[in-house]
Amino acid sequence: MQRRDFLVMGSALSLSPYLHAETVTTQQKAFRQVSSLIEAVQGHMFPEGGKLPSARSMHTIRFTEETIFHPTYDKDIRAFVIEGAQELAKRENEKFLSYTQREKERALRRYEQTDYGSNWLSRIMTLTMEALFSDPVYGSNIKAAGWKALHTQGGEPRPKTRYIQL
Amino acid sequence: MKQTYYDAVIIGSGASGGAVAYTLTKAGFNVAVIEKGRLMKREDFSKDELAYCRRDIVTPNLFEEYHVIEEKVDGKWEATPTYDSGISFWNGNIVGGSSNFMSGMLHRLHPDDFRLKSKYGPIEDANVVDWPISYEDLEPYYTLAEELVGISGHYEPHPYEPPRSTPNFTQPPTKENAVVTLLDKSCKALGVTPLVTPRAVLSKDKGHRHACYYSNFCGSYGCSSGAKSSSREALLYPALATGRLTLLTNTHVKYLHSNSKDQVSHAVAVDTITGKEKTIHGRLFIVAAQAHESARLLLNSANKYHPNGLANSSSELGKNLIFSGGGSGQGELHKESLKEISFDALMQPGYFINRSILDWYFIDDWWHGKFKGGSVEWMFEHQNIISRARKNNYEDGRLVWGKALGERVVERFTNQKSIRFEIFNDWLPNDNCYVTIDPKHKDKYGMPVGKLRINGHPQDLKVGNYIAKKCEAILEGMGAKNIYSSVSSAPAQNLVAGGCRFGDDPKTSVLNRYCQAHDVPNLFVADASFMPTGGSVAYTWTIYANALRIADHIVDVLKKEQV
Ligand SMILES: Cc1cc2nc3c(=O)[nH]c(=O)nc-3n(C[C@H](O)[C@H](O)[C@H](O)COP(=O)(O)OP(=O)(O)OC[C@H]3O[C@@H](n4cnc5c(N)ncnc54)[C@H](O)[C@@H]3O)c2cc1C
Ligand code: SF4
Repeated sequence: MQRRDFLVMGSALSLSPYLHAETVTTQQKAFRQVSSLIEAVQGHMFPEGGKLPSARSMHTIRFTEETIFHPTYDKDIRAFVIEGAQELAKRENEKFLSYTQREKERALRRYEQTDYGSNWLSRIMTLTMEALFSDPVYGSNIKAAGWKALHTQGGEPRPKTRYIQL
Repeated sequence: MKQTYYDAVIIGSGASGGAVAYTLTKAGFNVAVIEKGRLMKREDFSKDELAYCRRDIVTPNLFEEYHVIEEKVDGKWEATPTYDSGISFWNGNIVGGSSNFMSGMLHRLHPDDFRLKSKYGPIEDANVVDWPISYEDLEPYYTLAEELVGISGHYEPHPYEPPRSTPNFTQPPTKENAVVTLLDKSCKALGVTPLVTPRAVLSKDKGHRHACYYSNFCGSYGCSSGAKSSSREALLYPALATGRLTLLTNTHVKYLHSNSKDQVSHAVAVDTITGKEKTIHGRLFIVAAQAHESARLLLNSANKYHPNGLANSSSELGKNLIFSGGGSGQGELHKESLKEISFDALMQPGYFINRSILDWYFIDDWWHGKFKGGSVEWMFEHQNIISRARKNNYEDGRLVWGKALGERVVERFTNQKSIRFEIFNDWLPNDNCYVTIDPKHKDKYGMPVGKLRINGHPQDLKVGNYIAKKCEAILEGMGAKNIYSSVSSAPAQNLVAGGCRFGDDPKTSVLNRYCQAHDVPNLFVADASFMPTGGSVAYTWTIYANALRIADHIVDVLKKEQV
């Protein structure tokens, strides 16, 4: 299956050509509008008091923004991250942020039942894991807390800069 | 400005290009190696999983340079550009090529791999042919490669271990994890003989290169000690030291230009930083861009003398592309059920498993019959942290998150370790596995991209499944849990060969026995393109050996011309 089909499958929206054609700065604005919602989803996936550091304490949302807007990141997936969040907000009548834990769980499980939602949640999971377990040089995994939780550590030598800038 | 005129121009600085550059410069010739990527030195490498394993940083961005992959889906051929699938067919595009990133498990081919057709007879729907050379022709170069690039190991006689002209490896095996005790015991109980894996990794210092420091992150990563026997460390640095090698980095060759029917006159390339086009002139041209890209380059070099692609009077160019066939499987060793070795010893990071099995290289089974089989490599699951954490987090089709996810992932990292086997068997060459160029799809330099039609032969799956069952039994004997295997016709993108078959008949092959184009005598192809059949081991030792073999011939050609 082609990836673009896979990304949009089951969506009423499809990857909008409108958002697609936008410049990074307009996309960045669109991201900022949904960033607290993405942050809340990440917080639900990686809560406080679990065996892994929480998304909130590791600032995974900052990593998410820096990552998807980096030139090496796939532009289709960047658009998908934003549109998937917009779709979730819309489905929940813009109330997701004020939900209780149980309501959030129910909303996300409902969203997961659509192919589109399940792909989007999987993408957010991947991005958050990348934040928690990539080298601390990328800004999350602060003081290697993600690695410590897993009793592991990255290999040596560790990167001195992000994305092999020589 | 006067145009430099090289004795030889090599396109691609990977395993094959490096081997040719080494021999020619040592023999006193002036050589240019053209490499589309940049030079990354030992001290530039790190174990940055995000950069090396999850983004296209040492390979081209797929929106700019890609392949089109054609596979059969529900009985119909479906073409998908790799920017759509996200599955890259680039393997490492910096100086040294993919050899910087290999895991380095190497084997020689068996003498019968050179004569598969005469030994086993034809196979329906497979284009199996004998090679024009024999194991005896290549043996001295396997030995030379072993010494020169540095392959560590330990020789034990085995019916399917090819004969060797030296008693043993000069580099002893790399260090082994205690898990080999369990593996060896389980094999023994099943009547299987495990062998020490020859590895393109130094166990002892060698010249300017340091021994392996067991970094725990080997395959897919560049090596910071010089222990990994990449073309860059083992061949290009010594070639540069002769003063006769010009390394043209960030230079992408678009096509080869011919002023006459039987000669390439220059390479037309583009500076990937400035975008400026340039030409590189020489007496001989050696294409070493990795099999599928070499065929693409020759197809893109069609001209009025060679309308169907350079050196393609046989119409064989691009055909019979092969990959390493096989599959893989794994099982988990859990802390609470581990016997005979301590959990701490199992968790020791960095040491290798270092075991391979050749027992099923040729199969004679009372039930399944006699057929060519394959080899097996044992290893730990790749130690990448993000990918291991991200794996298997579904339950009843739903993503696990919240505290349950934390418990699950921590358990995976702290109470178990997965051990894995990979099967290598022949990918039978067939009419539906080839490279062409797709004029509709062009890369950012305006050149048609390689279109790979990929099709595995049913026999490949039969062999893979047969061996997978045997390996699952070994894992069971070790006390592993959650054992599974998967055998399919999905290609190993990093192990690719064929597309420019060598042979004695110009009507049925692109290259002669010295990998020189039948049609264009000053053109050679040095990578795995020449292989008419792939054997049942990974290709790279054979690539190194064959490139060293043809380089000796190229030296003779250059010397004769000088006279
Ligand atoms: C992760 C990984 C693990 C591996 N593990 C093993 C293993 O365990 N055992 C084994 O036997 N093999 C292994 N391999 C395979 C091994 O690396 C290759 O077989 C070998 O490097 C191929 O050599 P080559 O010369 O054909 O191509 P490469 O080494 O890939 O070199 C080709 C070079 O040509 C350059 N190039 C291509 N097109 C152009 C152009 N148009 N202009 C200029 N330059 C160009 C490329 O950038 C590249 O640097 C592995 C590979 C990878 C990626
Ligand atoms: S130090 Fe050893 S394990 Fe690490 S990359 Fe080099 S060869 Fe591989």
